[in-house]
Amino acid sequence: MMLSIKNLKAQVEGKEIIKGLDLQVGPGEVHAIMGPNGSGKSTLAHILAGRDGYDVTDGEILFEGRSLIGLAPEERASRGIFLAFQYPVELPGVNNTHFLKEALNAQRKARGEPELDSVAFLKLIREKLAMVSMSPELLKRPVNAGFSGGEKKRNEILQMALLEPRLAILDETDSGLDIDALKTVSDGVNALRSPDRSVILVTHYQRLLDYIQPDFVHVLAGGRIVRSGDKGLAKELEAKGYGWLSGQDEAA
Amino acid sequence: MSSDTQTQHDVQEILRLGQQRMARVMPDTDWQSATRKRGTAGVATMARPDRKQEAWRYTPLGFLDQAEFQPIVEGPFDALQLSDIDDLMLTDPPRIRLVFVNGYLASGLCAMAKSADGVTLSSLAGGLGEVPAMLRQQLDAIAEHNHVFAALNSALMSDGALIHLAAGVHLDGPIEILHVSVGLEQPGICHPRHLIVLEDGARAEVIERYCGLGDGAYFTNALIEVSLGSDSELLHQRMQEESPHAQHLSDLQVHLGARSLYRLTLAALGGAWSRNDVRVTFGGEGATAELDGLMLARDRQFNDVHLDVRHEVPHCTSRETFKGILDGSGRVVFDGHIVVARDAQKTDAVLSNRNLMLARSAEVDTKPQLEIYADDVKCSHGTTVGELDPDMLFYLRSRGIPADQAKQMLCQGFAQEVFDTMASQALRARAGQLLASRLLTSTPEQGER
Ligand SMILES: Nc1ncnc2c1ncn2[C@@H]1O[C@H](COP(=O)(O)OP(=O)(O)OP(=O)(O)O)[C@@H](O)[C@H]1O
Ligand SMILES: [Mg+2]
Repeated sequence: MMLSIKNLKAQVEGKEIIKGLDLQVGPGEVHAIMGPNGSGKSTLAHILAGRDGYDVTDGEILFEGRSLIGLAPEERASRGIFLAFQYPVELPGVNNTHFLKEALNAQRKARGEPELDSVAFLKLIREKLAMVSMSPELLKRPVNAGFSGGEKKRNEILQMALLEPRLAILDETDSGLDIDALKTVSDGVNALRSPDRSVILVTHYQRLLDYIQPDFVHVLAGGRIVRSGDKGLAKELEAKGYGWLSGQDEAA
Repeated sequence: MSSDTQTQHDVQEILRLGQQRMARVMPDTDWQSATRKRGTAGVATMARPDRKQEAWRYTPLGFLDQAEFQPIVEGPFDALQLSDIDDLMLTDPPRIRLVFVNGYLASGLCAMAKSADGVTLSSLAGGLGEVPAMLRQQLDAIAEHNHVFAALNSALMSDGALIHLAAGVHLDGPIEILHVSVGLEQPGICHPRHLIVLEDGARAEVIERYCGLGDGAYFTNALIEVSLGSDSELLHQRMQEESPHAQHLSDLQVHLGARSLYRLTLAALGGAWSRNDVRVTFGGEGATAELDGLMLARDRQFNDVHLDVRHEVPHCTSRETFKGILDGSGRVVFDGHIVVARDAQKTDAVLSNRNLMLARSAEVDTKPQLEIYADDVKCSHGTTVGELDPDMLFYLRSRGIPADQAKQMLCQGFAQEVFDTMASQALRARAGQLLASRLLTSTPEQGER
C-alpha cells in the first residue's frame, strides 16, 4: 500500500472531526474524496501533511509501510507527500523562484541527492512552467501575494510538477478555475500519474473527474468514509446529492 | 538610577576630554567655531536625558555609566588599507566613496570619480581641500539640538561629508559615505557630521553606512543635516551595521523645499544599542517624504527609532513605514510622531509600524502619535505586534523546507519589503545577507514547534 489509514480519529481544539476513518490507497491509484462542506476533507488532508494543532487520538496512518504520526511536515514532504492547498498561503516578501528552489533543494538534500545549482534549476522550472501554462512573471513575484485565485491554484500545480511527489493530495484544486485552467491542472496531474505515484483528489465537482479518471470514489461525511465505489458513484452523487447517504450513516 | 549631577557629569566629561584633544590637533577652523560654541552652550544647559523626558522614556542610557568614552585620537587605523575593508565593500562599489575611519576621513580609502559639474564634495576637517563658502554657510543651518547628544556633536564634530549639488544637477549613480569603526583599547566616541545640500531641481542618491571592523566597543554620535531645494529629489539609503558591542546614535534632520521628494530607507541592523532620530520638516508645499525602516533587535540588542515629522505647510505627503524584528531579549522602541500644523491643510500622512516577535522574551514599545491641528487632512496610523504566521510556516514546511529555514525565509520576506525600497541593488543584497547571517547566529529560543 502507498497509504493505509485505519480507524483514524482526530480532534481539533478538543472537538472530534475525524471519527474512525479508513482509507487504503495503492500505488498508481487515483482516489477521489467527495463530501459535504465541513465533513473533514481538508482536515484529513492537513493531518496527512503534518499540520500542527490536530490531535490524533486513535488509529494509524502508514505511508509506504511507515507511520507518519509525529513526523514533521518537512520530513513527510521529503518522503514524497504533497498537499495542494484549498487556500494557498500568501508569503509577502518571499520571492517565488527562491521559494521553489529552496523547496526542491531541501527535499533533495533530505533524500541525500545533490542540490541543483541556479542554472540547472532555472532550466527545470522553465519546463515545468510551460507544462502548467503559467506566466514566468509570476516567478518574480512574492509567493501567491496578489495572485488571482486561478493563479494560486496553478502555482500549486507548478510546485507539484516540480517536486514530483509520490502521493499528491489535491484539496479542491479545481474550485474557482476557469475551463482552460481546469484542463491545465488536470493535464498536470495526469502527467504525474505513473504506476508508483498516487493521487487523492478532494473535489465537489464531477467535472474534474471527467478529466482525471479516478480509480475509486469515496464519500467522506461526519468524519468517516461512508461510501466507496468507482467513478459511477460520483455520477450518482451528482444526481442525488448527499442526503441519501447521511441517512444510511445514521443507521450504521 | 544615579543623581542628576552625577549623570550630567558623563556628558560633560566627554565634552571636556573632547575639547582638550581638539585644542591639540584641530587645525584652525574658524568657520566652524560658531557651531562649536552653540554646541558647547547646549551641552552646558542640557541635562543627560532621563526617563522623565517623553522622548527618552524607553531609551536606556546605562551604558554611559559603564564606559568612559575617550575622544578618538588618530592612531593605528591611519594604516588601514583597502584590503582591510574588503568585507565591507558593496559588490558594485559606487564610483564616489568617502570613507571615514573612526570618524576621520581616510583619503587613501576614498574613491573620487569625476562627477558632473555642479557637484561639490568636501569634508568638514578639510581633508578634501578648502571647504567652499556655500557649504560653510549651510553648516548648522537646520540642526536643532533636541537632546544633549546633538549639542555634543556640534561641539565636537570630528569630520564628515559635505555634499552640494547645484540647481538642476542630476547625479548619476550613488555617493557612498562609509564609516568604519575599529574598536580601540579604550572605547572611543566620535561625532561624525554630514551635510547634504541639493539646490532646486537637483537629484542625487546617497548611501550612508556605519560599519564596525571586528567587534570592539565604541560610540558613534552622528548628526546629519539634509536640505532639499524646490523640486529636488534625494534617495537616501542608510545602513547601520555597527559591531555587536557598539553604541550608535544618529540624528538625521531634513528640511524639504516645495515639491521636493525625499526617500529614506533605514536599515538598523547592528550595534548593541542603537537610536535613530529622524526629523523631517516640510518647508514648502507639495513635497513628499517616504520613510521606510527596518529595526533588528536580536538577543540583548536595543534598537530605537524616533520620528518627528512636521507638516507645517499644506499639500504635503508623508509615508512612514517601519518594521521591527525581535528575538531573544531584544528590545525595539518606535516612536512615530507626526505633527500637522493648523495651516497644513490637505496633508496626507500614513504611519505604520509592524513588529515581528520571534521570542516571547523580546519587548517592543511602539508609540504612533498623530498630532493634528488642521481640519482637512488624510492621516492614519497602524501598529501591529505579532509572531510568525503559523499558516505561512506550515506552507513552507509542507514543501520540505525545515522549520528553522522556513522561519528565516519569512523574517527575510518581512524585511525584504523594506529593503526593496532601496534604489541600490548592491545595498539591498547586502542588507539581505546581513540580516540572514545575523538571524542565523541568533540564540535559539524556547522553540515552539
Ligand atoms: N482549527 C479549528 N478549530 C475548530 N474547528 C475546526 C478547525 N479546523 C476545522 N474545524 C472544523 O472541522 C470541520 C471540518 O472542516 P474541514 O475544513 O475539514 O471541512 P471540509 O470537508 O474540507 O469542508 P469544505 O468542503 O467546505 O472545504 C468543520 O466543522 C470545521 O469548522
Ligand atoms: Mg475543505
